[in-house]
Amino acid sequence: MTQGSTATATGAAMRLGPQPGEVIDRNRTIEFRWNGRAYQAHPGDTIISALAAAGERVFSRSYKYHRPRGLLTADFLDPGCQLQVGDEPNVRAAHRLVEAGMDVRSQNTWPSLKFDVKAVNGLAGRFLATGFYYKTFIKPERLWPAYERVLRKFVHAGEVSPDTEHGYYDKRYAHPDVLVTGGGPAGMAAAVAAARAGARVLLVEEEHHLGGHLRWGDDTARAVRAELAEQVRSEPGIEVLTDSVVVGRYDDNWIGVMQRNLPHVVERLVKVRAKSLVVAPGLVERPYVFTGNDLPGVMLSTAARRLINLYAVKPGERAVVLSANPEGDAAVADLQRAGVEIAAVADARRGQRVVRARGRGGVQSVELADGSRIDCDLLVTAVGWTAPTSLLNMAGARPVYRPEVARFVPDPAHTPDGVLAVGGIAGDGTLDQLREHADAVGREAARRAAQLAHRLHGALPTRPRDAAPQPAPVTDPVPIPELPLAEHPELFFSTHGFVDFSEDVSSKDLVTAVKEGYDSVELVKRYTTATMGPAQGKLETVNTVAIVAAATGRSIAETGTTTWRPMYAPVTLGALAGRSFEPIRHSPMQPWHERHGATPLVAGQWIRPEHYGDPAAEVRTVRSGVGIIDVTPIGKLDLRGPDVAKLLNLLYVNKWSKLDIGRVRYGVMCADDGVVLDDGVTGRLGDDHYLMSTTSSGAATVWEWVENWLQTEHPDWQVHVTPVTTAYASINVAGPRSRELLGRLTEGVDLRPEAFGYMNVRTGTVAGVQDCVLWRIGFTGELSYEIHLPASYGLHVWERLIETGADLGVVPFGVEAQRILRLEKGHFIVGQDTDGLTQGYTAGLGSLIKLDKADFVGKPELAWQAERGGYPQLVGLLPVDGDVVPPEASQIITGGGHIAGRITSSRMSPTLGRAICLGQVDSGLAEAGTRVTVRLPDGRDVEAVITAHHAQVDPEGERQRV
Amino acid sequence: MSDADRSADGPTVTIARSPIAAPEPLVPHRGWEVSGRRSAAALTITDLTPLAKVAVRAPMDGAVQRALGAPFGRAARDGAPALDGTLVVGSGPGEWLVLAPVGTAGEVREQLAGIVTEAGEFGTVVDLTHGRALLRLRGEASADLLAKVCAVDLSDAVTPDGAAFRSSVANLVTDVVRDDAGGVRSYLLHCERSSGQYLAAALLDAGAEFGIDVDGFRDPGI
Repeated sequence: MTQGSTATATGAAMRLGPQPGEVIDRNRTIEFRWNGRAYQAHPGDTIISALAAAGERVFSRSYKYHRPRGLLTADFLDPGCQLQVGDEPNVRAAHRLVEAGMDVRSQNTWPSLKFDVKAVNGLAGRFLATGFYYKTFIKPERLWPAYERVLRKFVHAGEVSPDTEHGYYDKRYAHPDVLVTGGGPAGMAAAVAAARAGARVLLVEEEHHLGGHLRWGDDTARAVRAELAEQVRSEPGIEVLTDSVVVGRYDDNWIGVMQRNLPHVVERLVKVRAKSLVVAPGLVERPYVFTGNDLPGVMLSTAARRLINLYAVKPGERAVVLSANPEGDAAVADLQRAGVEIAAVADARRGQRVVRARGRGGVQSVELADGSRIDCDLLVTAVGWTAPTSLLNMAGARPVYRPEVARFVPDPAHTPDGVLAVGGIAGDGTLDQLREHADAVGREAARRAAQLAHRLHGALPTRPRDAAPQPAPVTDPVPIPELPLAEHPELFFSTHGFVDFSEDVSSKDLVTAVKEGYDSVELVKRYTTATMGPAQGKLETVNTVAIVAAATGRSIAETGTTTWRPMYAPVTLGALAGRSFEPIRHSPMQPWHERHGATPLVAGQWIRPEHYGDPAAEVRTVRSGVGIIDVTPIGKLDLRGPDVAKLLNLLYVNKWSKLDIGRVRYGVMCADDGVVLDDGVTGRLGDDHYLMSTTSSGAATVWEWVENWLQTEHPDWQVHVTPVTTAYASINVAGPRSRELLGRLTEGVDLRPEAFGYMNVRTGTVAGVQDCVLWRIGFTGELSYEIHLPASYGLHVWERLIETGADLGVVPFGVEAQRILRLEKGHFIVGQDTDGLTQGYTAGLGSLIKLDKADFVGKPELAWQAERGGYPQLVGLLPVDGDVVPPEASQIITGGGHIAGRITSSRMSPTLGRAICLGQVDSGLAEAGTRVTVRLPDGRDVEAVITAHHAQVDPEGERQRV
Repeated sequence: MSDADRSADGPTVTIARSPIAAPEPLVPHRGWEVSGRRSAAALTITDLTPLAKVAVRAPMDGAVQRALGAPFGRAARDGAPALDGTLVVGSGPGEWLVLAPVGTAGEVREQLAGIVTEAGEFGTVVDLTHGRALLRLRGEASADLLAKVCAVDLSDAVTPDGAAFRSSVANLVTDVVRDDAGGVRSYLLHCERSSGQYLAAALLDAGAEFGIDVDGFRDPGI
């Protein structure tokens, strides 16, 4: 029955009447815009099918020559159908479903798609010749900026607005037994068979619906599709992802799947670890190379059949069909049924060829090899298939070219056990034969997966020890029937035409490249960029190989193919990035800090208060009264066991054997090379119980360091280490009145100096909270107490300190004030005043390092450092002009301009009213009183004097010992 | 006597707070401030941070392990007679975390210390009640949610009910326990306390497509 075109709605001149397999919903009509004009579509239409239904034929201009391009494949790969949709460029419009309100535009055309002035490039071929990237726009070099500006205007990639909102992308992990890539008849049959054999199956289909080529087939094909789809739907062990594509296969079937059709998620990367991979992508129809083969109106037979059967769109009015296979013949029948006049059928099996298509803006006539010229507006070609073997190649397989079937075929003998192929990529045959083969492969994939699972699961600690053993999997392989291969003529080109439609590479370009000496297909690819465009070789690789083979006089098998690498399909950077998972850490007092206007400081993962408005005032209050600071991020390790002292002696450079209960000691750890690793104080809470503190940034490093030494060098030592950094909220109460403040809230601890002296530790109750650990230490140089209390009560205790100390003028102080206070006191910070080369003696630790200990980490290097001398030294410095604060990292230079050190810390001291610094200088400059030159970032030089102590405030330490 | 009761001394009530912001209404529970919100959603997340959490270290397969009843990789409820009402999680080789009702940390610590002493092995017991954040996901879609933020196979074959493992969840080191509740799939997740809010936010974000909702604390929670 012929169903002529019926204009069912405005702008639907080429829309056919209802088709049996159509996927559009005719009950609804939606509107979208194409280059500013309103168009109508039905839900289920792709953007291109809707435009084609409205009679549009030209959708883009080509990459280099800006030739008009239309519809070629009518699917994701269609090179002429990449459009801008709203803010999104490069949308595969022959795949993307149209939505109401879409604003669709052509890319890189000016002033319009129809009259694109850049088409002048076609006349400027001399500058765009083969390998023009390497030949033109090179000299004179000084003109490159001008070239670049012009060339950028010709970039063929749409536009991304800097104001575009970030889309929501995420990821997911999946662990199916069997991943089937391709939801055609073979893929569906394999999935069903695997699921029925007990496997959990993930079935991935690039199109919006399962069925593959059955969708645009005859009644029988559609019935089989419906039957298989129902089987898939009713198998609970199968998860189906449509509009999704496997983008890469890596070792041990680590497979990336891009899922596109989720609500509220632009794209989702599914990271799959599959035990078996069944490759079922079907076959990709191959374009034919001849003069004029890129004119709008030249399309593949599968494109014509998709248009008619899926979208009810009439591809043209009068057609010439070049057919070399039954699918081409079926296209003829479909065209006739759609009311397209068949002007001629050139049967390639009988030697007939198309040699040229003519027309402006679209096909107007076709010339055959016999010299005949036929007027038409549609040329449909069916000249063969490309096996998209990418995933097999990524698995290490090397498909072989079979000239009698004119395509590459997988070699099962050289394919990994976990990878199998079904469907058109594996062979031909009747639908029943393909199903039978896929059924066997599906069962075999499930069997292999079960064997692997049995091996893996037996070693899992997460399974119950007393669980019944899993039944041993079937060991006998499933017999897999051979698939026949249908003979097919080798048809690649007749005359010169375009090979790579995405990159505007012609067969002439390829031949020229060969003549220029690029006789390897890999070199030709890179020189001409053939196969390097958005289609990534799926349409053009085999034609490229065939033309290179012809030009070099070799066979296709001898020429080989280019290498298929991930990604199989384009992937957005957003999908690769997924959600932003950057863990952050807060102290229990964070809500208070936020309520009181603290300026946040990002310190590693921690968010800390940098200050509460005036860090200098905070410093003054601590020096004169009392302040409290949240020091929760200080690393804390709970150490228990009879051998803790041995551990401390090993890791710290100083001695720990005689630390009494109730005492704390400062210690420095150095790495094996003697470089300062971390510092902190450790207190002894009981016979076999210690609490170690580390720097905030070094907490994780020190934990790993301690465990590493225990587990690898001293597993015999009885020590258990538990990180308790965030089990405690930590508050430093600092200042001359800190004892008075703390005394109001503390029970069970005698705070009098004679009972609780400097460098002691006590446990007691603070603000009603038991089990608090109180250390009398002084990073600020003032009388101070560091309280570590059960973290859940942190906010409670902090608020009580603020309330209770109101009459004492207590203030919170932040990290900046603490940095100033410690610099005034001359305490160095590991990682700021030291670096990756700063050994212990350089850091001024000479009195701490005990080389008379039997052994400790870093001892040999430190002994050598002490012996050789002449090392840089950490020193205190005072700029002569006290108003100038040399920025940290300012270089210290000699008279000859050589670098002799650097400023590591610098601040304006609120206590002294002048600039103070720490810095590392060469040994010859470290003597107290030495004047050095500091070069500022702006190029000015200032003088500074080395001081006798690191500390500029209370170097004798009297204030903290009261 | 609970921790909170023992520390509630003086005119100011001592309140323990979770690191995870609790939705209204806020209600007191044994010295903790918890959410009293009730949700009937099919997928819920509940802050169980107030539960007692006590860590045990001892030889991996020794007498302590036998007494606790949970080997590495598995969790056991009421594994030992002295530990009624607790969940013992074999969270690492030679490492256990015992979860118990709110306010029982002291008692559990003593019970565990007794077990260690009786076993005659080198073992230690540390109260981590205030050092860890603890969340429960409950609902059939909880595995689908976790599959968005955790690379571990969550199938029954690999991580059945009672499975315990440590992995990256939303890029955060997290201990995960499959702890089905009332026949409904459920997971306990615990991490460093300071990252509790981050983990909760990441799980809510991942669970949005499944209609996740916050359910308040319900005693005993374990």
